[in-house]
Amino acid sequence: MGVISPIGIGTAAFWESLTAGRSGVRRIEAFDPSQLTTTFGGEVRGYDAKKFVPSSQRKNLKIMARDIQLAVGTAKLALEDSGFLDQRPDPFRFGVEFGASMIPTELDELAPSAHASAKGTTELDHKLWGTQAMSLMPPLWLLKYLPNMPACHISILYDLQGPNNSLTQNEAASNLAIGEAFRIIARGSADVMLTGGCDSRIHPLAMVRFGLLGVASRRNDAPEKACRPFDADRDGLVPAEGSAAIILEELEHAKKRGAKIYAELIGFGAGCDGGSVEQGESDGTGLRIAIQAALRNARINSQDIGYYNAHGLSTVAGDRAEARALRAAIGEHALEVPVSAHKSNLGNPVAACGAIEFAAGVLALQHGVIPHTINYENPDPDCPLSVVAGGPRELKRPTFLSANTTRLGQAAALIARKFEG
Amino acid sequence: MRRRVVVTGIGMVTPLGNSVEETWDGMRNGRSGVAQITHFDASTFPTKFAAEVKGLRFENFVRDPERHQFTGRNSRLSLAAARLAVDDSGLDTNRIDRSRFGVYLGAGEGQHDFENFMLTLAPALHDGRFQPLAFSRFGLERLHKQVECEQEPNMPAGHVAAQFGAQGPNCNCLTACAASSQAVGEALEMIRRGDADIMISGGAHSMIHPLGVMGFNLLTALSTRNDEPQRASRPFDRDRDGFVLGEGAGIVILEELAHAKARRAKIYGELIGYGSTADAYRLTDPHPEGRGAAKAIRDAFEDAQISATEVQYANAHGTSTGGGDVAETVSMKVAFGDQAHKVPISSIKSMTGHLIAAAGAVELITCILTIRDGVIPPTINYEHPDPQCDLDYVPNTARETKVDVALSNSFGFGGQNVCLVVRRFTA
Repeated sequence: MGVISPIGIGTAAFWESLTAGRSGVRRIEAFDPSQLTTTFGGEVRGYDAKKFVPSSQRKNLKIMARDIQLAVGTAKLALEDSGFLDQRPDPFRFGVEFGASMIPTELDELAPSAHASAKGTTELDHKLWGTQAMSLMPPLWLLKYLPNMPACHISILYDLQGPNNSLTQNEAASNLAIGEAFRIIARGSADVMLTGGCDSRIHPLAMVRFGLLGVASRRNDAPEKACRPFDADRDGLVPAEGSAAIILEELEHAKKRGAKIYAELIGFGAGCDGGSVEQGESDGTGLRIAIQAALRNARINSQDIGYYNAHGLSTVAGDRAEARALRAAIGEHALEVPVSAHKSNLGNPVAACGAIEFAAGVLALQHGVIPHTINYENPDPDCPLSVVAGGPRELKRPTFLSANTTRLGQAAALIARKFEG
Repeated sequence: MRRRVVVTGIGMVTPLGNSVEETWDGMRNGRSGVAQITHFDASTFPTKFAAEVKGLRFENFVRDPERHQFTGRNSRLSLAAARLAVDDSGLDTNRIDRSRFGVYLGAGEGQHDFENFMLTLAPALHDGRFQPLAFSRFGLERLHKQVECEQEPNMPAGHVAAQFGAQGPNCNCLTACAASSQAVGEALEMIRRGDADIMISGGAHSMIHPLGVMGFNLLTALSTRNDEPQRASRPFDRDRDGFVLGEGAGIVILEELAHAKARRAKIYGELIGYGSTADAYRLTDPHPEGRGAAKAIRDAFEDAQISATEVQYANAHGTSTGGGDVAETVSMKVAFGDQAHKVPISSIKSMTGHLIAAAGAVELITCILTIRDGVIPPTINYEHPDPQCDLDYVPNTARETKVDVALSNSFGFGGQNVCLVVRRFTA
């Protein structure tokens, strides 16, 4: 596995921060956020992409937007961790499947062109766009922003010629990507898949959009306290960035090469609200269907779940819908199963959240410990869940369920358990 | 035995018409859907033409048009084609298990609210430097909440699920020009695997907007034959000079065979093969020996449990670019061996232009219609053979012949290769 997150680069640093209850949410440093409604986020600090690509490929960083740079970094970490960095099997049997977002264009690249074709503040001269504006743009501009580029760059960097796909269902994107990669191996189309997700919402346009939607927290005076899933005092989600890569491998293939095995992925399910797209948030229908489908697929009982690694968006409607969905999916057990929402530490790195949270779940299996939800101080009575708070807790049953949903209720759930040989 | 998956409904909105039959009639008659760009003033762009969808009366395709004031173009195209496909399938969505009824699209990333976005961005440039501070202020004042949120790439699949009450798996993939083929391939696997019984699948895309045309013009990927737009898309022809941007949507209803039989559905064909690989070569160029593409074709044959000799028609990716058409020709030779010169190959992009993410689904539907009617649509504008492209491209006029098995190729920018095989349905 490889993780690049607001609370650490590399799985060791990430795990240490999670169990120490650290928040990666701070005032934004990448640009001056003073005029935004939300001036903070879960920002990855101290990431130098140059150190994560082979020196022969460094020139390509110029055509990688931030999301892609984060992705190639986690890919390298995961390949290293799995022992595949230097030696890889048949390239046609090794694929890439990533969750990604619409990558917003870097505004400093586009602004001179906009300026060159604007006449005052109300009129744009399209004729000037075709001439002057275009001449100011770099030739490879488009390539920097296509959502399939994270998976393409990874395939090119490491010669991975197997199935290659990029899923774009926002918060559910990397859960879906991991699930699809799981199915690809199960049906025999590949032996190894590099899967995960990447996203960066620490971008002026993305932040403006959150502001317009009115879904982000405005706790500008205490950013670290802002992301508080299931807490009564939450006031919105926290935009973030990050990436995680997970190497999935067919069991016999892994055993044969004597690989270290973190966990076994045993269940995947997906669903959707299929209701109105106008309501601000999901009603939890898709999440319920996804969780039920994953449990059926894993052929386990909900009592076997050691912890529910929650979506935990930290919005009033979102958290309540999630609590209802869990209750509807697993019944009374929803009141008892330990729940932890790692977005409390990370914020919401949208298309990457599922992969980073899945990595947290796998580390929890490895260490036998559930990292706690921070900022859970005043439980919301409408979210009747056993939220792990105050400090990490022992993981009693070595299986976790992880789920995410978009505001349209596009949801996916994964179940993994400790590998017992 | 694995579950079999059949196509029980089709819908298309393309530059050749806003229905399946209109589009198909255009293809059979070798019509071009290319003309001057009307969506915006492209008169100073290096490329001034494209294949636009014309006269789409969106309000006729949704039950709640008043709710779609801000719905983005990709979502509109998706909804229109999905309506046609669902109606065609005769599916009564009130009488199915909706948690086993999903959506898997390869619908494009949304497009910016161009004029407003640029006018928000322009004043944020001070002394030649972009000022995020100013942009934030103008953005919060000027940009429109719903218009912005409609640009998210999960919206088309979300709209389609909402319109038809689909509560099963909901996915969208973006693998550039291979996206909707990949969506159909993975939707096929979902049904085979038992994750769903019915999937609305396919794709929609429009990049006919100033940033889209600019992006491809900067890459010099588009034809600039501005004096003869209808002759610009000429796949495999010696004088091709780049692809022609198109827009549109293609949607298929995929259904598990027993489910389709139980409701006595009309069956267009059986989806029997899917192959997916990556070139892992370069971002903008296909592998010169068609390495990944040939493997994807062979994987699709293996999945379909057929040999190359059984394929009677191949719908080419055929974008009309210099390197792309050669690489595809090479990959066909590698995958088909001696058979390569015998199998008719045609590129409907000669008529529809390149629908980018939506191309594969429209091309798959073309294969289905070819099987239904025994007509192979032509590659138009094929006038001067290119010595490096020496296969049977069904030049200029449609060919009548019985086809039972067809292959559809889609190769994406960045190196994703996806192939699908469809066969006439036999119980």
